[in-house]
Amino acid sequence: MIAEETLVQELQQEASRAKAFEVLVNTYKERLYWHIRRIVLNHDDTDDVLQNTFIKVYRNIDQFKGDSKLYSWMYRIATNESLTFLKQRSKKMGISDQELKNRMVENLQADVYFEGDEIQLKLQKALSTLPDKQKLVFTMKYFQEMKYTDISEALETSVGALKTSYHLAVKKIETYLKEN
Amino acid sequence: MKKDKKNSFHTPEGYFESFNDRLMDRIHDEELKEAESRIPKTDGFVVPDGYLDGLTPTILSKSEEKEPKVISFKPNRNFYYGAAAVAALLVLFFGINWNPNTEPISFDNLANAEIEAYFEQTDLDMSSYEIAEVVSVTDIQLNDVLTDDLEDDILMDYLDENVDDIEELNLEATP
Repeated sequence: MIAEETLVQELQQEASRAKAFEVLVNTYKERLYWHIRRIVLNHDDTDDVLQNTFIKVYRNIDQFKGDSKLYSWMYRIATNESLTFLKQRSKKMGISDQELKNRMVENLQADVYFEGDEIQLKLQKALSTLPDKQKLVFTMKYFQEMKYTDISEALETSVGALKTSYHLAVKKIETYLKEN
Repeated sequence: MKKDKKNSFHTPEGYFESFNDRLMDRIHDEELKEAESRIPKTDGFVVPDGYLDGLTPTILSKSEEKEPKVISFKPNRNFYYGAAAVAALLVLFFGINWNPNTEPISFDNLANAEIEAYFEQTDLDMSSYEIAEVVSVTDIQLNDVLTDDLEDDILMDYLDENVDDIEELNLEATP
């Protein structure tokens, strides 16, 4: 895998940009796909948000200063794009954010790209009751197995606060699964 | 370092002091693991076949900046210069000769509020004498400028106490 610094330099130079961008997309598309998918749940919506994320990365690569890892920067863009997407959708439909989340989970049962069983559906219902931050931390840690330091950069939150959020999320999910 | 007096065993420095914290951390971790064990390890989402393979070309085609179409100005340059000159002359002509407000702006056009605001916000630096010269006492009611009503007897008392010669006030008899 190409070193991140080299990739950033190549992305910021006109001559090598196209080639480097292809490498970037190939390297991160899958990880970012799963990150977005766990927020917006539906495959087609994920596809839209993922493409928007990469286009935003391409257009703003000159503004990337290297203060954080490229990977964390892209995660940040993907997270913001996903949350903005959901906000816009709930506004368009004239319903609350929570109502939209409930509907999204209900739609999973009919989704051909969701093969979850009863317990996995319950897990999604439990996740939909969590505040955005707790849900993000939980999915990034539990399913994507990211390190706290990487999550900390991506979500711009301290490691201590992330650990607390994760602990709270696990407890709430466990309680939900027990009670339902 | 703590030593047991009856034998030579000893514990690392600060062992007992930090024991509680470490124990609580352990309990916390165990609890978390126990809770996690009830949560399924996968979440059931799948992607359509071949989606990720076809994604790169899709994104690359969307991110390519389209070259803007270049339109040359050269062949028509003289025409544009001519048109710009004529337009400038017209603007100048109408600008000088055309004035929709035929009546000149007078003092009456100013809204009272604007005048009041001007006096309130501008430090005129005028003495009472200068103000008295400009504003005739007959044009103004004292009660307009005073916050409390000025009763006649209070006014007379004031004049009695403070004015020695009434002529100094330079009052003109009102008709």
